[in-house]
Amino acid sequence: MIRMFDRTRRIRLLLAVLFTASILVITLDFRSDGNFLDAIGRGAMTVVGPLQEGARTVFRPVGNFFAGFTRVGSLKARIAGLQQENQLLVQREEQVSDIQRENGSLRKLVGLRERLRLKTLTARVVGVGPSNFEDSVFLDRGSADGIRKDMPVLAGDGLVGRIIQVGRHTSRVTLLIDASASVAARIARSGEIGVVDGAGERELRFELIDPEANVERGDRVVTSGYDNSVYPPGIPIGTVARLAPPSQSLSRLVYVTPFVDFTALDFLLVVTGPQK
Amino acid sequence: MIWKRGILLFLLALTGLVLETSVLGVATLDGSKPELLLLMTIALAMNEGPAFGATAGFVLGIATDVFLGLPKGVSALVFTAVGYGVGRARAQMSAPTAWLPIVMVAGATLGGMLAYGGFGMLLGEHVSSRELFRHAALSSAYNALLTPFVFPIVRALGARLRPAGVVR
Repeated sequence: MIRMFDRTRRIRLLLAVLFTASILVITLDFRSDGNFLDAIGRGAMTVVGPLQEGARTVFRPVGNFFAGFTRVGSLKARIAGLQQENQLLVQREEQVSDIQRENGSLRKLVGLRERLRLKTLTARVVGVGPSNFEDSVFLDRGSADGIRKDMPVLAGDGLVGRIIQVGRHTSRVTLLIDASASVAARIARSGEIGVVDGAGERELRFELIDPEANVERGDRVVTSGYDNSVYPPGIPIGTVARLAPPSQSLSRLVYVTPFVDFTALDFLLVVTGPQK
Repeated sequence: MIWKRGILLFLLALTGLVLETSVLGVATLDGSKPELLLLMTIALAMNEGPAFGATAGFVLGIATDVFLGLPKGVSALVFTAVGYGVGRARAQMSAPTAWLPIVMVAGATLGGMLAYGGFGMLLGEHVSSRELFRHAALSSAYNALLTPFVFPIVRALGARLRPAGVVR
């Protein structure tokens, strides 16, 4: 019994000593800056610092794993926000790409106009011909703007076709690839002349007058401007893609890949007058 | 044989500080971190009695204040009181259950953190009551989650380094 009482007293005495020590430390810290305890703390950091680095390296994946659980709610909200932002950015990027493409197309038109030195009017494709048996497009310019029938139409890369129908504020263009289209042309390198016909397909037929004409794959084909053609001379048409096998015919047939992409027509030039 | 207890406290303080400032500093519970050294104090108090609980509280509290650059002595005071209180309460319980450590840890951590915040206010620190209660609740929940991992280790170490003839 006495022993227990002694033990209880000892514990209470210990408690009093510890409380007093704590209060002394609080007082010491409160009354002075940079005391010896701070120095001990700095020394401890020197020792513990490398251990911290090691522990952080080893346990980082574990910590991040558990941190992920506790941040699920806020991360979900953040993901939703970022997805929305991403959608806006994708839309903006598409708009920028569109503007860049338009810009490129217009620059090509300007370049072509300056090279050929023709009087031109810029028009925009606003529609496609409805029939499956003809290849044509509608432009946003008409007679009120000075458009006339049979005027040649160009894109930045080369010849597109000619005006076949004119309204007050709109007009229709027959494309070069249309089965009914044809244009007098020549090989830019050798000068060999012939007629380019649309075939209703992406390749053009080029029938050279001379059956032994000097023609090779890769040769540039341009308009010849002969026979009072509606098309001025020197307008790029395409390149020779392949040569038909020789035959007993009185002409030489080759196939031409057009420069213009007829599936992506946007801004076009309508040639309104002769060269300056 | 006091040096054995000294080694125990040193190892626990070192491990606790390293873990608190590295791993557990990242894995927070809605911004609140666990009080690992307080948890160790409570574990020691429950296993070794109120006297060692108070002593461990003082040592681990001082280690917390000195190393983490907190107002010196406040953690020592709070941890000492918690260690003694938990040790006495445990001694009064004749039929402990498996949930007892978790409940004691949660309650003692909550009380300890509120006491710490209260002392801080007395010393002139500006502490929002709402934030204090929120942090105290989250830290006590976090400590309760860590109890099944920390308790067995502390109990094993305490038993191994207990001087012969010591009455708990």
